[in-house]
Amino acid sequence: MAEANQLFKEFKIQSVSEFFRRNAAMLGYTGKVRSLTTLVHEAVTNSLDACEEAGIPPYVRVEIEELGNEHYKVVVEDNGPGIPEKYITHVFGKMLAGTKAHRNIQSRGQQGIGISGAVMFAQITSGKATRVITSTGNDEIIEAWVKIDVDKNEGKIVKKEKHPNPKGWRGTRIELEVKNVKYMRSKQGVFWYLKLTAIANPHAHIELIEPDGKLIVFPRSSDYIPEPPVEMKPHPKGVLTDDVYRLAKKTRRNTVRRFLIGEFSRISDKKVDELIEYIAALRLIKTVEDKKLQEQYYQKLMEGHVKAVLRAFKGYTKVVKQVAKMMEKPPEKLTWHEAEEIVEAFKYMKFLAPPTHGLRPIGEENIEKGLKGILKPEFVTAVTRPPKVYSGGIPFQVEVGIAYGGEIPAGFDLYRYANRVPLLFDAGSCVTTQAARSIDWKRYKIDDLDRAPLVLMINVVSVHVPYTGTGKQSIASVDEIYNEIRLAIMDAARRLQTYLSGKHRKLAQVKRRKTFEKYVPEIARALSILTGEPEEKIREYFIRFIESKFASAEVEEVAAEEVAENA
Amino acid sequence: MPKRKIQRERPKEKFSYDPRKVLKMLDEHARRILEDIKAGKNPHFDIPMRGLSNVYFDEKSRLIKMGDKLSRRYFLNVAHARKFMQTLLIMAYVKRLVSEGKHASLREAYYANKHTIPGTRENTFEDQSESDPIIEDLERMFGVLREEMHITADRRGYIYGDIVIRDGEDEFNASRLGSGGWAVPGTVEHIQFPEINVDYALVVETAAMADRLIEEKFPKRENALIIATQGQASRGVRRLIHRLHYEEGLPIIVFTDGDPYGWYIYSTIKQGSINLAYLSDKLATPESKFVGMTMDDIKKYGLENVTEKLKGIPPNKKGGPTGDYKRILEEMNYPWFQNKEWQRQLQLALKWGVRIEQQALANKSLEFVAKEYLPEKINNGDLLP
Repeated sequence: MAEANQLFKEFKIQSVSEFFRRNAAMLGYTGKVRSLTTLVHEAVTNSLDACEEAGIPPYVRVEIEELGNEHYKVVVEDNGPGIPEKYITHVFGKMLAGTKAHRNIQSRGQQGIGISGAVMFAQITSGKATRVITSTGNDEIIEAWVKIDVDKNEGKIVKKEKHPNPKGWRGTRIELEVKNVKYMRSKQGVFWYLKLTAIANPHAHIELIEPDGKLIVFPRSSDYIPEPPVEMKPHPKGVLTDDVYRLAKKTRRNTVRRFLIGEFSRISDKKVDELIEYIAALRLIKTVEDKKLQEQYYQKLMEGHVKAVLRAFKGYTKVVKQVAKMMEKPPEKLTWHEAEEIVEAFKYMKFLAPPTHGLRPIGEENIEKGLKGILKPEFVTAVTRPPKVYSGGIPFQVEVGIAYGGEIPAGFDLYRYANRVPLLFDAGSCVTTQAARSIDWKRYKIDDLDRAPLVLMINVVSVHVPYTGTGKQSIASVDEIYNEIRLAIMDAARRLQTYLSGKHRKLAQVKRRKTFEKYVPEIARALSILTGEPEEKIREYFIRFIESKFASAEVEEVAAEEVAENA
Repeated sequence: MPKRKIQRERPKEKFSYDPRKVLKMLDEHARRILEDIKAGKNPHFDIPMRGLSNVYFDEKSRLIKMGDKLSRRYFLNVAHARKFMQTLLIMAYVKRLVSEGKHASLREAYYANKHTIPGTRENTFEDQSESDPIIEDLERMFGVLREEMHITADRRGYIYGDIVIRDGEDEFNASRLGSGGWAVPGTVEHIQFPEINVDYALVVETAAMADRLIEEKFPKRENALIIATQGQASRGVRRLIHRLHYEEGLPIIVFTDGDPYGWYIYSTIKQGSINLAYLSDKLATPESKFVGMTMDDIKKYGLENVTEKLKGIPPNKKGGPTGDYKRILEEMNYPWFQNKEWQRQLQLALKWGVRIEQQALANKSLEFVAKEYLPEKINNGDLLP
């Protein structure tokens, strides 16, 4: 018996760390550079979310210290609200209990494992506990070393100290010691991640101290703190059987009808009546043996002729009554099969588009501020498209920013974001890359895209961003999203074009002026020889004349009459 | 031998070379530019336009003349600025040449003014094809010859005959320089003629024919001055012809091949050319006459065997007219060939499809041209207008 207990324990230990290893790719912990980036991402996201929820302009400082070969200490410090003592284990220890994982909410956290994953990663690579120093701004600072108890799958404080807080410091500082990672200044590294994060979060001040001691500051460029996203009820077109089944088990409503009305958006009492008819019709259609006839019924149902379909069957009212009965039973009694029937019927029904109030785009003004503040371009513009819906019921929104010239080096660069989070991997398969490349940039005065000093930023905002693959680093090519991205890029590119043609005009003006100025010394010398007047004086006359002409509006006239001399 | 009809006439023009005239022009134009810029006006040059569109035949003076179309060259105009600068550069250069009494060729003028503009990678002149037109512009603008601006062209042609020439410090008789005669320099403006002992000037197209006449002592016997153009007459030769006619009263008689090219040489000596229309009244000599070769000479002197076929396709054949035929038809339309004598010659050339060279006369004998053909025709007044 004891043996069995031991075995079970072993199995459990195995399972939590094993789970982590098996799902490393999904969780973002693959590759030495990427693992470090993911670690920083989780910590920074935590900080930004905490600050935003508390309405504090975020100040985040990331420090990476090299302790040995592929051995680093990562320190992330913020000025957030701090963590009360009793919640420390909850915040840093709970694996797979992320509150966002199953909520219908737009969130930065994509993996649903969050900071506890980072703690776990540190623990399994270096064996060290994570040091947490935090204060809510009261009279004490708590210093705690947190580990994950793989037995119980929860956080455990292995050591705790309390210090006085005479200056009223508030915030959280976490220190993670990790091995098997590597700091590199590549486009997949921490530096790049923080730079892109700073652009998408202009309200945050972000600092980075690199292993060689170099301090990089991405200063705050906007005072506006975004409102935290709100949870949205799922839209019937966007749900899976599992969602319905799981929500039914959790709900406090007492009938299936009330559950559907209460927990989903765009479902009314009347819609439930309609749903009953659709389910009944589907049940009846399934009894038809003639495949061709069955196909016809499905077609009719899709066209919305539910009553006509029902009337085609004898005694259909009996079936309708059966289904109606189902709607009145307690939701926790809903079977998987019944949930399946409901979701199938949703596919044939028509609903209002889902509400979009839960989406939190960065906003045109803030994108412009972010790009301007970090990239220092000479021109910047941004477009936030109105919310749209993909695959019938999932709201999403596309934002695009363009930064051109200034300190941007030559060469096109695409900054991809999903819900403000930079996507650093798998650019090739991403819908944003495809959309950006599909644009005929020549039409917008960008003759050679690959040599233009141009940064294109694309942010796809949605409750469910459709990622490709497990890495969640690339957005799937969904037609609706592709088209929205294209429209947004074209809109922004048109503004760039307007700017560039103005710039070309200005450049031409400067060039024209130079054309005249460069001849002045020659002319002055010749005229001096011819007339005997001092060269210096003649030069002055000409320079003054050019200046006066270019200062006045007559320049346009001069330009207009520039017909090649008859020669 | 018939009595000589050709004699020296009264001069119509005087030796007029005066370097101060060019200097005055340069000064006037430069001052105006300076005044404009001081007053905040966009300075410009008014340059008479070049090309066929600004050329006409003046019936009264019987010269090809330049019209009054002007093109304005502004400083503050992207398309003009460079040429404006170049114009002033050449003007300054001309001032130096004239005041120092030096002469420069077109190529020298180009190199003398070519340099990189400070602060750019641009040259003031990239090619001689940029400086030559500027010099022509100045000729038209000032109404002076480039020779008067001390810029010389390629020299070609020579003279032989009993006249005394003063060229700077040298003075000599052009019949005492050996059989090669005196080569006409690029600029003849400063040349003076203290003594003229000839009755007329015979302009000869080919050097071979001129040499033949010299060897046969034609100049001495006929009291003539031989001017060999060696093809199309150079500006120096044309100016010399003009001056000899107008300043010294020498009648001008032209002797070329009997082909469209020869007749064209006559035409430019007589009326001026389209290119240099603005200089016609300095270069052309409308009173000059034509002695040969003519189509009638072929019949008259029995030269049928020594004619050459015209090149090109006749007008009545498919693809025609081309080559010589086309030239002849063009020449038939020249205003100064609108007389029955010339129309007859040109018609005959078309009809027979032949041309006749000066040297074909050697078919008779080497002396024939000097002892019979020319004296006979000239003294009989058998000349074309």
